Amino acid sequence: MNREQNSRTSILNYIIALAVIFALNFILPRMMPGDPLHAIYGDEALVAMTPQMEASLIREFALDRSWTDQLLAYVINLLHCDLGFSYYYRTQVSSVIMGALPWTLLLTGLALIIATALGIILGIESGWQRGATLDRCLVAGLMFLSGFPDFFVGIILLLIFGVSLNMAPLSGAVTPYAGLKGLDYLLDALMHLILPLASLVAVQLGAVYLLTRNTIVTLLGESFILTARAKGCSDLCIKYSHAGRNCLLPVTTATGLRIPHLFTGALFIEIIFSYPGLGSLLNSALDARDYPLIQGILLIVTIAVLTANLLVDLLYKRLDPRVKYAH
Amino acid sequence: MLKIIGLKTSFGETEILRGIDLELDERESIALVGESGAGKTTLGLSIMGLVSGSVSGEILFNGRNLLKISEDDFRNLRGKELAMVFQNTEDALDPVCRIDDQIAEAILVHHGQSRKNIKAAVLKLLMSVGLNENKALAYPHQLSGGERQRVLIAMALANDPDVLILDEPTASLDALTKADILKLFRSVINCRISLVITHDISMARALTQKMAVLYAGRIVEIGRTEEMVTNPRHPYTRGLIRSYPGMTTTRDLQGIPGRMAQGLDGCPFHERCTQAIEICNCLVPQLREIDERLIACHRGGIVPLLEIRNLGMSFDSCSVLRGVSLTLFEGETLALVGESGSGKTTLSKIIMGLFEQDSGEILLEGQNVNKRDASFYRRVQMIFQNPKESVSHRMNVLDTVMEPLNVQKMGSKEERQRAAKEALRHVELSNDSDFLKKYPHQLSGGEVQRVAIARALALSPKLLIADEPTSALDPSVQAKILKLLMNLQEKMGLAILFVTHDIALARKVSDRMAVMLKGQIVETGATNEVLSHPQHPYTRRLVECAAAASLGMETGESQEESMAANNFKIKAEDFIIGKRPILKIEDY
Repeated sequence: MNREQNSRTSILNYIIALAVIFALNFILPRMMPGDPLHAIYGDEALVAMTPQMEASLIREFALDRSWTDQLLAYVINLLHCDLGFSYYYRTQVSSVIMGALPWTLLLTGLALIIATALGIILGIESGWQRGATLDRCLVAGLMFLSGFPDFFVGIILLLIFGVSLNMAPLSGAVTPYAGLKGLDYLLDALMHLILPLASLVAVQLGAVYLLTRNTIVTLLGESFILTARAKGCSDLCIKYSHAGRNCLLPVTTATGLRIPHLFTGALFIEIIFSYPGLGSLLNSALDARDYPLIQGILLIVTIAVLTANLLVDLLYKRLDPRVKYAH
Repeated sequence: MLKIIGLKTSFGETEILRGIDLELDERESIALVGESGAGKTTLGLSIMGLVSGSVSGEILFNGRNLLKISEDDFRNLRGKELAMVFQNTEDALDPVCRIDDQIAEAILVHHGQSRKNIKAAVLKLLMSVGLNENKALAYPHQLSGGERQRVLIAMALANDPDVLILDEPTASLDALTKADILKLFRSVINCRISLVITHDISMARALTQKMAVLYAGRIVEIGRTEEMVTNPRHPYTRGLIRSYPGMTTTRDLQGIPGRMAQGLDGCPFHERCTQAIEICNCLVPQLREIDERLIACHRGGIVPLLEIRNLGMSFDSCSVLRGVSLTLFEGETLALVGESGSGKTTLSKIIMGLFEQDSGEILLEGQNVNKRDASFYRRVQMIFQNPKESVSHRMNVLDTVMEPLNVQKMGSKEERQRAAKEALRHVELSNDSDFLKKYPHQLSGGEVQRVAIARALALSPKLLIADEPTSALDPSVQAKILKLLMNLQEKMGLAILFVTHDIALARKVSDRMAVMLKGQIVETGATNEVLSHPQHPYTRRLVECAAAASLGMETGESQEESMAANNFKIKAEDFIIGKRPILKIEDY
């Protein structure tokens, strides 16, 4: 099999996974005892619902017709990005989610990039001088840090830097009603981002660092490192372009596996910092028992995780010429 | 020019190299051989400055001491002036980099050049090591072992280094690929100083002019490769060559007893050496020149145990031995072959003192043997052709084996008994009391011969003369007895003078061979050499007959000739090497 075919196969796998998730999303409410509308919207919503609204919902989901028609209606709704109606926010679920998604992506994306990059660099440096003071301090410190749950680190940071030192804002993604524009707006967003980002990075960093360090220690004993040294390569070149390049392989795999954890971590962190992302949204949706919204968020998060994993897969194939098939 | 003086390398407490002295002129190639753990690779890495342990001494390269220069300077030499090809082709290349990038890196590290120039240079290098252009874009895992080896060589040659170190370069390759790679090596080696680290004696022979044998971090022998292989002089070198299976090896492979120990007092090899004397375990021997060879051995290499000089002997007017000269070294088997009546048995009986020679002398361990006293027989023992005749039928097993001990008045009765039982154990016979009380007629032929061997071994002799020791035995018993003798030789360093007319047998048991014809030695040499390139016409015929007999072929012509040889006396002097033999027929 050549490379292109492989990529295609792995993309196909993801599409199948996605289809299964959509199917479950369709089947589960209809499998529940009683009225699907009841299952989808919950008791409170039904009580608050007017008969007109109920009728329009039944029409929308084609609940009064055969299951093939229902499936068709479901697919058409999905294609229109219609995830249902949030009765709590009194608007389409998709537009509520779209308002929150960018903040979560910003937070998790940056956390992922920073934690991975920093972890790799620290890991390489520390593995290179294994046993030295720097190495020992890093191992001990980061292991200690990664032992805490995410929200705990978040709370500590909030208490120290937000409350006691008053160096960063306590909540939100931007200062409300400040009417800031341009660079000021960016800076303001950044100030709000720092603490949640720092707590996510702090917890994620340990795993990347430890994996990189240990991989580097093993790699440095490999013959090809000796070959590189015999060529006359500089330390920097050996560290990064030979050992570093090779340690990316396990680190990438591990990163792919850590992404769901990163998302769940972000949900907690957002609640602590009242960051207006999917986590806070999910929190309020749970409080309000806004089932369509909860379902929509879970669907989006699943899609995001799947996409991230697909990217990791594709990246891995690019990094390691030996891999023909990533599974 | 590369000169190494007193190089010592150690990892923590363990010293791996204990003072290496080596000098290599331009274009000189040397093979470094020795068992695993001898320090060969460490020596290579020390020259490259790549050992993680501490290094002391001097490595002078073009007048600069490499151990004194800064790491940056050293790095500039690495890959440019000094290059090394490592042994494990499986992981010696970066798995995630393309071949061309890896080769290009070797050049780029030392020369700032444009991408385009580099590309051309890389392709040229690949072609020069016999790789196709389209391999340039491949990753290491897409190449075969031989191709990876070629890439490594291309990388090492990228900057045309002055010193090339090859570490087990063909260890993991099959024979055909190996032959190709060897051809490549031969072309790249001759314009620079090369060190070839290897276990493979035949490769050393094919590639290098000189050979150094390493043992436990010291060089024990240096000499010209060809001479070292055909005539090893240090006991360790001989052990290595004996254990190496070459295509012309005829003798069964023999290992070196024991295993390498680090940090011994005295000669590092003395625990495994069969000729060690007292000084060997307290003083380290230095390399010194003995007959154009550097050898580190207190005894000057393998000692000649038995020297026979110009021996002559005649019964009445019939001369049986004429000018026979032979040397038998410690721990080796010398086969004395020739047809019946050529004087083999007479010679062995003269050595034993059963006949008196007319002229010439016999030296045992360098001393002239004038009278054969107890101390002579303690060192030289004999086993005979027919065990039933050589073992007295009135003595039981224990008495037979104890007899030489009784004659020598060695120790108390209990000690003698213990020694006798030990000897019986050596020849793999039971030593329970029932067996000890048996008489020869109660034993099989093979058992009686074992008893005879045990009797000969009871005194732990240095030299064993075996006169057709197995011709009265059936082939399976013969095989066992011979295996036994070879094992004893390996363990005790016994020298064996093996008298036989059976060439096929001599081929399997001997290191060297002496061919006797009409009381004269007409050819001597390493058994495989003598058999594959017989020089003397008589040897040639012996070999032909033996080969034909073992293939079950009719040897019409040679049969006639041997009948002729019985009828007419052939004068050996008249055979001229390389020319058609001229037969002179004397009046008979």
